[in-house]
Amino acid sequence: MSTSQRNFPCYWVELLVESTADPPRRAEVALLADRTDEQLLELALNGNEDAFTALYRRRQGPIYRFALHMSGSAQVAEEVTQEVFLFLLRRGRDFDPERGALGAYLFGVARNYVRRAMEKSYSEAVTTSPAEEDDPELVTEFDPVRDIARNQTSRAVWKAVLSLPEHYREVVVLCDLQELTYADAAQALGCALGTVRSRLHRAHDMLMKKLRNTAPALSGVRSDAARCLS
Amino acid sequence: MTCREFMDSTQELNALELLRLTAEDEGLAAHSRECGACASWLETQQSLAAALQSLSASTAQREASPQVEQAILQAFRTQGFAPKLVEMPKPTGAPLWKLSRVFELGAYAAVAAALIVGVFLGYWILHDRQESSHPRQAQTIAAPEEPESATQITADHGQTEERLAQVEEPRNQLVASHGKAPSVTTVVRVQPKNSPQTSTADNGNYVALMLCDPLICSDEEQVIRMELPATSATALDGSNAGTVLADIVIGEDGLIRGMRIVN
Repeated sequence: MSTSQRNFPCYWVELLVESTADPPRRAEVALLADRTDEQLLELALNGNEDAFTALYRRRQGPIYRFALHMSGSAQVAEEVTQEVFLFLLRRGRDFDPERGALGAYLFGVARNYVRRAMEKSYSEAVTTSPAEEDDPELVTEFDPVRDIARNQTSRAVWKAVLSLPEHYREVVVLCDLQELTYADAAQALGCALGTVRSRLHRAHDMLMKKLRNTAPALSGVRSDAARCLS
Repeated sequence: MTCREFMDSTQELNALELLRLTAEDEGLAAHSRECGACASWLETQQSLAAALQSLSASTAQREASPQVEQAILQAFRTQGFAPKLVEMPKPTGAPLWKLSRVFELGAYAAVAAALIVGVFLGYWILHDRQESSHPRQAQTIAAPEEPESATQITADHGQTEERLAQVEEPRNQLVASHGKAPSVTTVVRVQPKNSPQTSTADNGNYVALMLCDPLICSDEEQVIRMELPATSATALDGSNAGTVLADIVIGEDGLIRGMRIVN
């Protein structure tokens, strides 16, 4: 694929891929839909490309959205998704199903790549910011979620999520947005179940404080609501 | 249901479950109707859950672009899965522990050796002080070595002559005490200063004479063989000869430490 093709809008690329895909192969991939992640990985390790394709198509969406919610950047999300599956190609034989689900394992890998990408982008932002300050035309309001989340409430919530510290943002994205169980989130984050619970509870409190004045739909939120624990 | 049970139950739920909470769980719904604070708190949580669900729904269709899939599948076709890595033994703390164990044992051995040396030195110093504070008792005298032969006696004679002057005064004292001057015959020997001390009973029948103060008795002693009038030696030997041959041990202060009858 040429460089000019990569710059096409997404729907043109999708059309191109759809037209060049092999119909019998698509059918074979669909037949593997009822297999578990671990079974697909086992088949893929034995050289079954259809199994690997099915596994990718099942898991790339959640991985992409996790990276997107964590970073607020579609570019970072694409890079992280690609890196995660390249990592799976490199280290897939080291995966041990007895230590947890493949999905949680992939989220754990994605978490590390997101962290790495954000550290890189932060350092780049720090090194380039003085030059941009000199040129007023280059200074624009940074709103990474504006084009992605059209709904005003969603944008406010996402900004609040992005402003959370990383440890709290991870649990909110995994448990509330990706709807992982606490056990799977604990496996992905490499921490205890109780840690996930306590972090999520704390993250909700922080989110409510942030959203109290910013989101109209959440104007009734009272983070300091009186609690009776009798 | 108490408020704490209500809160614990709701904290177990994620956003989606929280939104369906009161419809599915009658107990929680009943408590939220009874308790205004819990109902308010639940309403707040549900509002937040709804907002998070809204965000989740707005991005639910977002996926990686087809180029990513193409790149991944291309990598799979060209490289496949990499072989399983052989896990190298992780550097556990075992070698370090063993090393530290060696150092620990060495430290113990060093401390033990230092203690032993300290005890030995302490004992030695104490013993030395006791030796210096309690000089040789008067009844312990040096053991004069017997001359091995007449040749040796003759060879020592030159030195003997020089030291005779030193014993002149004791001899005069003996004369004064016994009335008749004893004649020095052949041998005068000097006792080495640090030679081993033996008691009188073990040392050739010497009889200790308490003529010196133990505090001032010096270590240097001389043995003089001389002839003594028999009358003065009769009490010791019991013989009736005119003279007897005796070895007299004289200290540097000129006082006699002891004597024995040779013949």
